[in-house]
Amino acid sequence: MPNLMETLSPNSPQREKLYVLAQCAGWGGFTLAYFGLNQLARSTSVAETSIFIASNLVGLLLSHGYRSWIHRRGWKDLGWTALLPRVLVGTLVLGILWTLLTWPLYLYFGDPHIGKKVTKTVIFIFSVFNGIWIYGFWSLLYFGYHMASRFRRSELERVQLKATVKEAELRALKSQVNPHFIFNALNSMRALIDEDPARARQAVTQLANLLRYSLQSGQLETVPFEDELRIVKDYLALEQVRHEERLKLHLDIDPDTLHLPIPPMLLQTLVENGVKYGISERPDGGEIVITARRSGDGMNLQVTNSGELHAAADRPTPSEIGSTGVGLQNAAQRLRLLFGEKATLSLSQGAPGVVVAEANIPRLLTRTPVPVDES
Amino acid sequence: MKALLIDDERLARNELRRLLAAFPSITIVGEAANAKKAREQIDALKPDLLFLDVQMPGETGMALLESLEPPAPHVIFTTAFDEFAVKAFELNVLDYLLKPVDPARLASAVERLQEKVGAAAESDEKPARLGAEDKVFVREGDHCWFVEIKKIRLLESEGNYTRLHFDDVRPQLFRSLNAMEARLDPKFFFRANRRQIINLTWIEKIEPWFSGGLLVQLKGGAKVELSRRQAQEFRDKMSL
Repeated sequence: MPNLMETLSPNSPQREKLYVLAQCAGWGGFTLAYFGLNQLARSTSVAETSIFIASNLVGLLLSHGYRSWIHRRGWKDLGWTALLPRVLVGTLVLGILWTLLTWPLYLYFGDPHIGKKVTKTVIFIFSVFNGIWIYGFWSLLYFGYHMASRFRRSELERVQLKATVKEAELRALKSQVNPHFIFNALNSMRALIDEDPARARQAVTQLANLLRYSLQSGQLETVPFEDELRIVKDYLALEQVRHEERLKLHLDIDPDTLHLPIPPMLLQTLVENGVKYGISERPDGGEIVITARRSGDGMNLQVTNSGELHAAADRPTPSEIGSTGVGLQNAAQRLRLLFGEKATLSLSQGAPGVVVAEANIPRLLTRTPVPVDES
Repeated sequence: MKALLIDDERLARNELRRLLAAFPSITIVGEAANAKKAREQIDALKPDLLFLDVQMPGETGMALLESLEPPAPHVIFTTAFDEFAVKAFELNVLDYLLKPVDPARLASAVERLQEKVGAAAESDEKPARLGAEDKVFVREGDHCWFVEIKKIRLLESEGNYTRLHFDDVRPQLFRSLNAMEARLDPKFFFRANRRQIINLTWIEKIEPWFSGGLLVQLKGGAKVELSRRQAQEFRDKMSL
């Protein structure tokens, strides 16, 4: 898309060329058309021809000056309602200016109309009106073009923004189901089929729930916290099958938070992260604590796991499956997209040996995504 | 063949145990849930074969393997889903199984292994010295090798580590040159100087060098200097 953007960008050489071409064609065409029409009606004198050409040249220069005025005052960025009165006044001023500038020519060379049937005042007023409709037409073309190109540009930006949001969603969706987890869970189930058929059947249902949820929730902007919590419990039950006594779990959920909206897979991402660093990578395992509290209109969500923050960050990660950094970044981005700048997501060292992931989710104000800051 | 199962998940070990019941040639001598326990078990039980999970808490399967005293046991890696590891396995032609394990794939891995082992080893005794066919596990970045001792042309000391020259690579082994010298067969390996050990079967050319020393050129291009004292020892050894 760089080429398209270039041609649309202000002050590009292509645009400058187009402007010069349009000016020459407009004024030249206007001059020629006038002569063409007059030639049919009557013959024109040398004086009349010179005056006409000279006055049109003045008109051209005037419109060029008008253009730099427009540039300087930033009229091109104005909306219709702000632009229209300015253009009307501008056109009137230009009509008067043009007449004033060319008036000496008429007086000096003598307008063929003056003195025959009409007075100078009538000619003057006629000339002003003449200017108004010419500059009116000029403005129509000029601003019409800019309005159209601005519309096209904003359309393009809208499409790009939409694509960016979509991409972020897709990336998040991709990180939702950790394939390493799925295949390990399937392996555990295979073992459970012989050892504990009832638990195996339960595990199949739990994995099915988790997969279904993570596939469906990609299309939703928010889900009730309750739904997400249910799926996280299924996930943790499966992890407990794998890690057995190495995974200890504690939930502390305020019932008032259950109906609040949260982005799907947010808690899941935090918990998965906690299990990865707090359980999977520690020979003796650890504890996961999920805490949900009301805070103002929204909620405060905390997931803690055993471990040290910097240890997790420094760990060489060539064989890592879904890099957690990416998972958390996606979660933070989705949170901001949906809930605005007040929404936060942070990872910090709590008490020694405890890592805290904390999300603050304000009340959902709007369903319109906030533009993504590319930096 | 004595096998040790190494996986952090009890259920995964049980599952593998059940699958291996179909192979009477493989006896499971033990299990370990992490690298530390595995090292103890390997020392105590001297298994011929490891079923080794790549992702384990604390220390990965690769790191465990790297830390083992050569010769490296036979290894079949297991992993649930790890694009990185699978790429490394395929790059380095290592045996691996994906969990949940497909019994047919397990059968072909065991079969392949038995062909490799073949008639070579039926003696339970581990010799003190490394044989020509014995293997060392080395890793550098994404690459890892089970290199046969006879393929190593040159060993060079680098502090506490040793750089191995074989094929067209020269990865570093986490073991000192002195420790390696103690394990190498003096019939084939010669301590050329303080820093280098050469494989005698890879010598291409020998030239007289300054003050009674020798310059030995190995196939593959490396040149190694021998001092007068070592040159004398070398002559004695070679004339035998």
